[in-house]
Amino acid sequence: MTDLAVESRHAGGHSGDGLRMAARGIGQLLITAGVLILLFVAYELWGTGFYTQAQQHNLETTIQHQWSGGSAPDVSTLSVDNVRLGTGIAVLFIPRLGRHYHFVVVEGTGFSDLQRGPGHYPGTALPGQVGNFAVAGHRTTYLHPFKDIANLRRGDYVVLETKNHWFTYRIEDIPGTNIPWKEIVQPTAVQVAYPVPDQPDPGKTPTLKLLTFTSCHPEYSARERYVIHAMLVSDTLKPALPPALTTNPRG
Amino acid sequence: MYVWIWRRLPGGVPGKLLGCLVLLFAVLVLLFKLVFPWAEKRLPFNDVTVDPTTTTSTPTPSPSGSP
Repeated sequence: MTDLAVESRHAGGHSGDGLRMAARGIGQLLITAGVLILLFVAYELWGTGFYTQAQQHNLETTIQHQWSGGSAPDVSTLSVDNVRLGTGIAVLFIPRLGRHYHFVVVEGTGFSDLQRGPGHYPGTALPGQVGNFAVAGHRTTYLHPFKDIANLRRGDYVVLETKNHWFTYRIEDIPGTNIPWKEIVQPTAVQVAYPVPDQPDPGKTPTLKLLTFTSCHPEYSARERYVIHAMLVSDTLKPALPPALTTNPRG
Repeated sequence: MYVWIWRRLPGGVPGKLLGCLVLLFAVLVLLFKLVFPWAEKRLPFNDVTVDPTTTTSTPTPSPSGSP
């Protein structure tokens, strides 16, 4: 729009005009492309969060409604095949990531499941069960439930709320195994989510009650995966509260 | 390009400004509702799962349950 002055000078029609027009066109195109890319970044980092926020609100309402109704069984008593994809299965608390940190974990790790919250790998153990409760979560987009996954430390607690239980897991090197509390692996390293993680046999019979988180690494990239392992340390029956949620994690 | 649009918008300067706002709004809605969601599925930023296939497409865990 500031081109109006330039425009009037063009009235004579010199040979340089075409060139100038082309240069200006290209310039505008480049600026437009730059603005588009910035908008896309804003959409990814913040815009996607609005969607997840709304979905989490719905999931939370639904799961609380199910829990308050008498008939629905506790998810820890179900077989792994009896959970419908896309439904909320438990509420995840990580005191290290904030007093108010909680997310409804969705069944499934498809794109649309993870848009709604951290997703449980289908077929892996359910909360409190023998095996490996494996969960994937976004680190930069969709409300980034695992944004601060790198702040988790050995000894931190992860609490899963189900209808009747609070299952408390502690992040640690799993005793008697080669499973570390934290590892950074290739995106293809599916063995981190096996019932017995970090060994070649997906069919090996588990004996421990484990929990695994996966997210992307480094932040803003997807070259590798950041993985956290934890082991069940206590099972608190409601209405009592688990100690991990009543004490200060940073204390 | 922008000069071309400005010249073709009707209604004097106020009308042109209003036209600009309407166009801008329409473009933003189009981008955020259609273009960006479409584009992000084709980019790898959102891959957070471990998966035997390294493609950027939606991971689909096998029916047996080993993800």
